[in-house]
Amino acid sequence: MRMTRRVVWGLAAAAMFGTVAGGALAQETVTIGWTGPLSGGAALYGKNTLSGLELAAKEINEAGGLEVGGKKYKLEVVGLDDKYSPSEAAVNAKRLRSQYKAPIVFCPHSGGNFAMQAFNEQDGFIIGAYTSVPQMTERGNKLTLRIPPSFAGYLDPFIKAEMSAFGKKLGMAGADHDYAKAWAALIAPAWKAAGGTVVAENPMSYNKDTDFYSGVSRVLAASPDVMFIGGASEPTALVAKQARELGFQGGFIVMDQAKLDEMAAVLGGDWSLLEGAIGTLPLIFDQRPGAKSFVPKYRKAYNRDPGTEASLNYSSLNAVADAMKLAGTVSDAPAIFAKLSDAFGKLPPERNPASINSVDAKGGSNAVLVVGLVKGGKVVPVDASGTVQN
Amino acid sequence: MNLSLFVQQILNGLTLGSVYALVALGLTLVYGILHIPNFSHGALFMAGAYTAFFFIGSLGANYWVALIGAAAVTAAIAVLSERLVFSRLRDSPPLHDMIAAIGLLLFIEAVAHAIWGADFRRMAPPFPGIMRIAGTVLPIQRALIIGGAIGLMIALHLFLKRTTTGATIVAMAQNREGASLVGIDLTRVSIITFAISGALAAVAAVLFAPINLISPSMGNLVILKAFVIIILGGMGSVPGAILGGMIIGFAESFGAFYISTDLKDIIAFALLVAILSLRPQGLFPAPSR
Repeated sequence: MRMTRRVVWGLAAAAMFGTVAGGALAQETVTIGWTGPLSGGAALYGKNTLSGLELAAKEINEAGGLEVGGKKYKLEVVGLDDKYSPSEAAVNAKRLRSQYKAPIVFCPHSGGNFAMQAFNEQDGFIIGAYTSVPQMTERGNKLTLRIPPSFAGYLDPFIKAEMSAFGKKLGMAGADHDYAKAWAALIAPAWKAAGGTVVAENPMSYNKDTDFYSGVSRVLAASPDVMFIGGASEPTALVAKQARELGFQGGFIVMDQAKLDEMAAVLGGDWSLLEGAIGTLPLIFDQRPGAKSFVPKYRKAYNRDPGTEASLNYSSLNAVADAMKLAGTVSDAPAIFAKLSDAFGKLPPERNPASINSVDAKGGSNAVLVVGLVKGGKVVPVDASGTVQN
Repeated sequence: MNLSLFVQQILNGLTLGSVYALVALGLTLVYGILHIPNFSHGALFMAGAYTAFFFIGSLGANYWVALIGAAAVTAAIAVLSERLVFSRLRDSPPLHDMIAAIGLLLFIEAVAHAIWGADFRRMAPPFPGIMRIAGTVLPIQRALIIGGAIGLMIALHLFLKRTTTGATIVAMAQNREGASLVGIDLTRVSIITFAISGALAAVAAVLFAPINLISPSMGNLVILKAFVIIILGGMGSVPGAILGGMIIGFAESFGAFYISTDLKDIIAFALLVAILSLRPQGLFPAPSR
């Protein structure tokens, strides 16, 4: 009996020594999984979200790696193309978990995230859901981190700022995909509750239409003061431009999928066409210290301007790395998940350009929302109450 | 009814109809040679837009030079596809042509994807001005689309009806054996027809690009409409392609304005079903072969 125990201890010691020796010889790697579009129309969007993760991993590795429980780990981001398809996202996630042992899989589309929610608790990995659909965290999944804030938070500042600046009549000319419909279903009642009227509802197919002139003129025929627009940035810019050509002088409420700076780029940098438009604040105009230090770093690494999809994912991977330290494990997903809120709260601003301060009980981040209004050809920040800050 | 808004929809319908008709014209001419719809035609439309984008953006060419350059390059691509692919399949079953056409479509799209990436590109409008006539808005670029398309249609009509080369194309479309018997060279006619179809697609794309976006998949939206148009107008018919293009353009613009933008495609396709159930052979059926 005594003999047996001694042998067991000896084996345990040998095993421990073995791992330590192994760690000294070659640094161990923790794989951070990512599945998203790398080909097709949404490829650029996919690459932007992936770049935020890669930049964060690169910085952590250059600073000497991640030290968890006395061991050093290197972070490696493995990105697999799912062509924006939920089923391929699920297959990729299975592969990332079983082949690479990834404790977390990031995905930038709601369909893929919903698909992964079917098995992530069982397989033991966290979903890093880059989507602002509020339902993402309403299904009771215990290992889902919703990275962007829910878009419901935009309604108040958007409506207050536009209604006071332009008037009470809203014309709806948003896109007709699911995400845009979810937005429309929230903003129309909120606008009415704020004392306004909705004078026209005419969703258009931003991805499939060849021209928006007729659709826009149908909305303008009801003489709205403010137009609700938004799909991908590029067609949204065309909708805004055509509305101006057809004589519209009012403001635009721009759905968060479209980014004001990308729209201006499509219009040849002509911000005057977007005067009075309110939307998410482009990161390059964000005056908070975290964002200000992130923009030059990103430009240096990728030679282009970062958007919020890069900064939000960058903040998140930094928090995940710190949560691993706090939890003392790189593989136990529930333990890491439990420390995420703490980790976000303790991140210094330069590692948290998205200003996420905590994660709620359901897994939703509560980044501090800042929106941007185009005023005098410049984007000025507007706070959550709809007050323009200067 | 507000008259200026009504006139506005007529102008919108003319703009859209002109672009559709130009694309459908190339498609219908090539149908006369191949006897299958050339699926790769949408890729030629896209290639024309990117070529002009390259001429303007990278070589600093002026818009008109880019337009002519794009027409020439795209015509060359079309001729190459005829020489390297379709002419070799002349004696194969039509299914082989069809598969080859789809292959070409995917190939040209993948090349554009590899060179320019997936992001949307934009060509700055060469004439950003806007004409306003009694409450109706007509940007100069849109006027250019309408004028350019009508000019090209007249030129094409004169070419087919008044020149010997044009007559050989018509003859070949009507009866391949008959035309060969009277000494018309099939190879020469094929090359000319493909060149014209490529050039028409490129001109349509370059006229349309400044009011739209350039992306590798831009041709798919237009080519789908063009198929509908040549079925509506009668496969292989030139006046059918023009009238069909205008019908779809007007149905879209009036449907989007007076009924619902969401339903405009339903309206356009319902019209197609209605017309075809009354005239199954299309509006201008090709003379019997």
